[in-house]
Amino acid sequence: MNLLAAGIAAGLAALGASFGIGMVVSKTVEGVARQPESRGPLQTIMFIGIGVVEAVPIMAIVIAFLLMFTF
Amino acid sequence: MEHGIPTWSFDLFGIPIVFELATSMMIIITCLLIFFTLFFMTRKLAVRPTGKGQVLVEALMNFVKGIIKSNMAWKEGAQFHFLALTLFLFILIGNLIGIPLSFVAPDADHTLWVKSPTADPVVTLTLAGLMIVLTHYYGVKMQGMRGYLKQYVTPMWWLAPIKFIEEFTYNLTLGLRLYGNVYAGEILLLLLLGLVTGGTVLGALGFIPMMVWQGFKVFIGAIQAFIFVMLSMVYLSHKVSDDH
Repeated sequence: MNLLAAGIAAGLAALGASFGIGMVVSKTVEGVARQPESRGPLQTIMFIGIGVVEAVPIMAIVIAFLLMFTF
Repeated sequence: MEHGIPTWSFDLFGIPIVFELATSMMIIITCLLIFFTLFFMTRKLAVRPTGKGQVLVEALMNFVKGIIKSNMAWKEGAQFHFLALTLFLFILIGNLIGIPLSFVAPDADHTLWVKSPTADPVVTLTLAGLMIVLTHYYGVKMQGMRGYLKQYVTPMWWLAPIKFIEEFTYNLTLGLRLYGNVYAGEILLLLLLGLVTGGTVLGALGFIPMMVWQGFKVFIGAIQAFIFVMLSMVYLSHKVSDDH
């Protein structure tokens, strides 16, 4: 039962994170296509955005590990 | 694939204090590695660099300078230059040091001795907490107590509780992001290692995904070090600079 819960948590986290990061990157690509000269700052902002988005699924993964190993 | 954790503990006034020996050892190794590498790279400094070492260190300094400059004015950001450089190097080398080698002791617990020091929540949350405490310290130092407290009630006074909770969220996400990324990578590496050393013929092909994952983990380690330093500087600039 714990393994099932961990799997569901990790899977849903991966789903949400991939949607979120995909949106961040696609918007960045649009921005770079419009203004190629602002590529450097946009990339920096993109990495910050990815970092912020990634924090939540990583927490879900930690919870999944906790479910697997400790309970 | 359960791996034992080597610990050493003693009681201080009835409170057990536990040292994780593998993590402590890898922290010391990481620090010595960084110190001696940079020490020997910067011995013969010249206006026209002769060796590769000085060029590499200069590129590193410029990279960190760029991170700080994208967040605050260099006039107030220059004092964080070495802090950010130290943080970046420790996290980068700490992330990378667990990739090439893995040593599992041949005892009953399968004690894991060689791993990334940043694959431990205590280490990453300590680093994150250190940076958050430093943002408050420099906020008070550079803006005064009045300016520091004023940040909690701008733009609206009723946002103060949210801003207060935000400080703890920053700490938690900053630490757990690094820990989660590195730890998940190490778990997958150990699983692949178990597949390769498992003894089956098909499992021996596991070295291909293992090599791919090791390469990807170098990328993840560099990105995570960058993000950690970048977000630390973003939080610092919220407190330090008064233009926004």
